[in-house]
Amino acid sequence: MRKSLLLVLPLAAALAASAAGGQKDGAAKPPAPKASSAESAAPAVKEIKEAGLKELLGSGKAAGRPLLVNFWATWCVPCREEFPDLVKLRELYDAAKLDFALVSLDDPSDISGPVPAFLGEQRAGHFPSYLLNADDPDAAINLIDPTWHGELPATFVLDREGKIVYSRKGRIKVPELREALDAALK
Amino acid sequence: MKKLSTLALIILAASLALATPPAPTPDEKASTTAAIGSVVADFTLPDAGGREHSLSLLKGPKGTVIIFVATKCPVSNAYNERMQKLAQDYRAKGINVVGINSNSTEPAAEIKAHAAEKGLTFTILKDEGNRIADRLGAQVTPEAYLLDASGKLVYRGRIDNSRNGDSITSTELRDAVEAVLAGKAVEKAEVRAFGCSIKRVS
Repeated sequence: MRKSLLLVLPLAAALAASAAGGQKDGAAKPPAPKASSAESAAPAVKEIKEAGLKELLGSGKAAGRPLLVNFWATWCVPCREEFPDLVKLRELYDAAKLDFALVSLDDPSDISGPVPAFLGEQRAGHFPSYLLNADDPDAAINLIDPTWHGELPATFVLDREGKIVYSRKGRIKVPELREALDAALK
Repeated sequence: MKKLSTLALIILAASLALATPPAPTPDEKASTTAAIGSVVADFTLPDAGGREHSLSLLKGPKGTVIIFVATKCPVSNAYNERMQKLAQDYRAKGINVVGINSNSTEPAAEIKAHAAEKGLTFTILKDEGNRIADRLGAQVTPEAYLLDASGKLVYRGRIDNSRNGDSITSTELRDAVEAVLAGKAVEKAEVRAFGCSIKRVS
């Protein structure tokens, strides 16, 4: 545990530094495609069912871009804890080359309250965000990864072919996730 | 003397075994999972009040439901009433419900207070070091395991399809219990759902 902390801490610091740098540079550069929505207080979260999830999982392949999907919920403490890392990670990559999507497993009644509120707090309003209201959670889990037990958080990277090249159940480890994203972008 | 030293060795070995539980790091998934059809070996755990129980004494004459539960997980908490009702409905029919809390973040005193507050009367065991969660491969709360009368695992997974209980359209755990009582094979032996991950020891 201590060892992994030691590994993660400097990286987190580096990430924070580069994220801050990225923001500074951002002022001079042309704005990222969806940068303006990042500032809106209540980001839109789209409710999806199994068919919507299937479409989402195929969207990276359709666009020829790798896709990172993070499954989370406001009630999931480790999900909330890893969120700042995900947001920083997003800023390290070109939005035109890599897709990010967030899928909340919150109760559907939370779609216009706690879910967008948390995303706003985390400055994650520019992430395409969904709330999965599956009629059959087991079927939804199977669409993603049959070896997954459904525990949150869970993060997957799909390559341009739509194949899972990284999966992490539990809090993300930034170094290995970066490695997977870099490999998927090659 | 010889007897004494043998005894000392046994005690030493036992204390060593206790000191170094073969718990995987939280970063690695539990390496073993109990397979459907396999017999779950007996284990002993203390309840939230500190009293030791062994599975062989807790098990129901017709079968046993083991549910990994939590005090803080909203998903597990959404099922409190349904778990309690399950325990009440099937106790007289020979099926016992046993809760196990394997979260390193939830001490026995908290489990006891939580059960009293939520009206959970079935036995809840404290799985220090998540040994039993590892042995069974439990990953989330709530996650149920159904053992038949011979201790064979015949179902693992969710209680039903609806977390908040508003739109229950399938009740896999109850269906599995009914199948066991009827002496039939369980139709769907493994059905997962989204849940809180079990907080394992580091």
